[in-house]
Amino acid sequence: MKRLPPLILIACILLAWEAVSRSGLWNPLLFPPLEKISRELVLFFTRPESIMEAFVSLQRAFAGFALAAAFGIAIGMLMGRSARIAALLDPLFSGTYAVPKLALFPIFIFVFGIGSLSKVALVFLECLYPIVIVTSQGARGVSRVLLWSAANMGASRAAALRRVVIPAAAPFIFAGLRIALPIALIVVIITEMVSSADGLGYLVIYSLSSLKTDRMLAVVVVIAALGWLLDRALVMLRDRLVYWEKLETYYV
Amino acid sequence: MIRFISSILAILFVGNALAQTPPTIRFGRGFAAEEQLWLMSVRKDLTPNQGKAYNLNQILFQANPERFQAFLAGELDGGTAPGLAVIFARAQGVDMKIVASICLEASGKGIFTTQYMVKDDGPIKSVKDLKGGTIAVVGIKTATDLWARAGLINAGLVPDKDTKVVPMGFPVIGDAVRTGKVSAGTFVEPFYSAEMAKGGLRTLFTAVDSVGYEHELLDIFFGEKFLKSNPEAVRAFLSDYVAVTKYYLANTEQAKSDLHKAGFVRTPLPAYLKTSDWKRTPDGRVNVDSLKKLAVFMHDKLQWLEKPVNVDSMVDQSYLPR
Repeated sequence: MKRLPPLILIACILLAWEAVSRSGLWNPLLFPPLEKISRELVLFFTRPESIMEAFVSLQRAFAGFALAAAFGIAIGMLMGRSARIAALLDPLFSGTYAVPKLALFPIFIFVFGIGSLSKVALVFLECLYPIVIVTSQGARGVSRVLLWSAANMGASRAAALRRVVIPAAAPFIFAGLRIALPIALIVVIITEMVSSADGLGYLVIYSLSSLKTDRMLAVVVVIAALGWLLDRALVMLRDRLVYWEKLETYYV
Repeated sequence: MIRFISSILAILFVGNALAQTPPTIRFGRGFAAEEQLWLMSVRKDLTPNQGKAYNLNQILFQANPERFQAFLAGELDGGTAPGLAVIFARAQGVDMKIVASICLEASGKGIFTTQYMVKDDGPIKSVKDLKGGTIAVVGIKTATDLWARAGLINAGLVPDKDTKVVPMGFPVIGDAVRTGKVSAGTFVEPFYSAEMAKGGLRTLFTAVDSVGYEHELLDIFFGEKFLKSNPEAVRAFLSDYVAVTKYYLANTEQAKSDLHKAGFVRTPLPAYLKTSDWKRTPDGRVNVDSLKKLAVFMHDKLQWLEKPVNVDSMVDQSYLPR
């Protein structure tokens, strides 16, 4: 029942699209009917090379995301628990957060080459920021009462970190990861659109260059579905690991 | 009563003025090789019909897909486009026609043709040596992509399998070749002259070498509906276009200086004046045979088209001055 309203909204959007497509007001090459997009979607899943392109993009996104998660959580925890490290790194992160790192992509190509490495490096950089900032907020906000209680019970600093700080910051860590995951996918697709010979981004630009909007939109649907599936998987993982605090948001 | 009569007169006056306003051509332009077209906006004194039979509004686009999307959305009446892009569009059923030629890829003294260059001291001596390497083009399914693939196919290589073809912006291709990030790259003016001045690169093949014949590079297209509803405006526009092309060819240095002064070209003027130019036909006539050959190549060798395209039906030169 809870899922019905969003499904109705999606159905309304699809109906509106179909109505626009059939209205004749706009060129059907710009607004292809759903039937054409669906046909291209079926073709996508029946072509092994298309599946490979999706696999290539996911590999790149995962690699950059995993690196960002590993470094981001570590840096965020350090910034959250150490005033000195926070004083050192916070100006750097907050000062450069708004920089569109995608603008640095040509430099990344020169440093890391035109293949996957430059794309993975940019995904890493884009994902690092939200993970670091949200994790550091979580680590900083751990209740002192909990820490004092752990100390009174004889917990060492390492044990307090492992058994108090990390669990208390875990909802924030997952919030950071959840912000970063779609960013990983977006950055991979854009970098592949700019300069690549493979991946879903390449398929988007390839279809667009042939004025095959229906095919391009089918790839966009695949990207959206992948993003949704990855988000669901991350939420499931979060709910298993952070079982004491169920995620209660209107968009889950 | 006097107020009523004056209102009627005012309406008649405005209506008459509107009826006399020539149609505005919303024209999508690019950023390279379209000098004579730009000159139509910079030197209106060379276009006697402008303001009388038509008004011209040139709108800059960075790439063909965006220009075609704007055209499909009804925001443009016509524009410039590479012949192969119009072939793609026609294959998708877009109602556009090529009405005139802007420039061609041709070889000859003082004529520029797109170059594919490699490191001078690098291991690549022939196109065959590109096996296992990467070639940089400016965009997927663009003319630069077609020539790169044609060059590879001629050398017995399979594009994408034997040699990767990757898109890259013109300004960075030179350094990408020098640093070995790509094995070869596409160069057009003014990047070609700039890289030649730096040294260390040499030409492996050219666009003309790759397909083996002189062919259309850029053309002027119009939507069929606009052509049917405004034939006189298009005729007047093309009459001016041909006149400006002739002026440009006869007074290239002056024309280039005017374009530079108007901000259409950002290259420093001395360098811009030195660059060699693409071949431009003074009468604006389209080399239809070359488009036919390109369409066959795109269909048969590259599998870029699902079915053959009727090139004759996509070219209409009847609007050009006789």
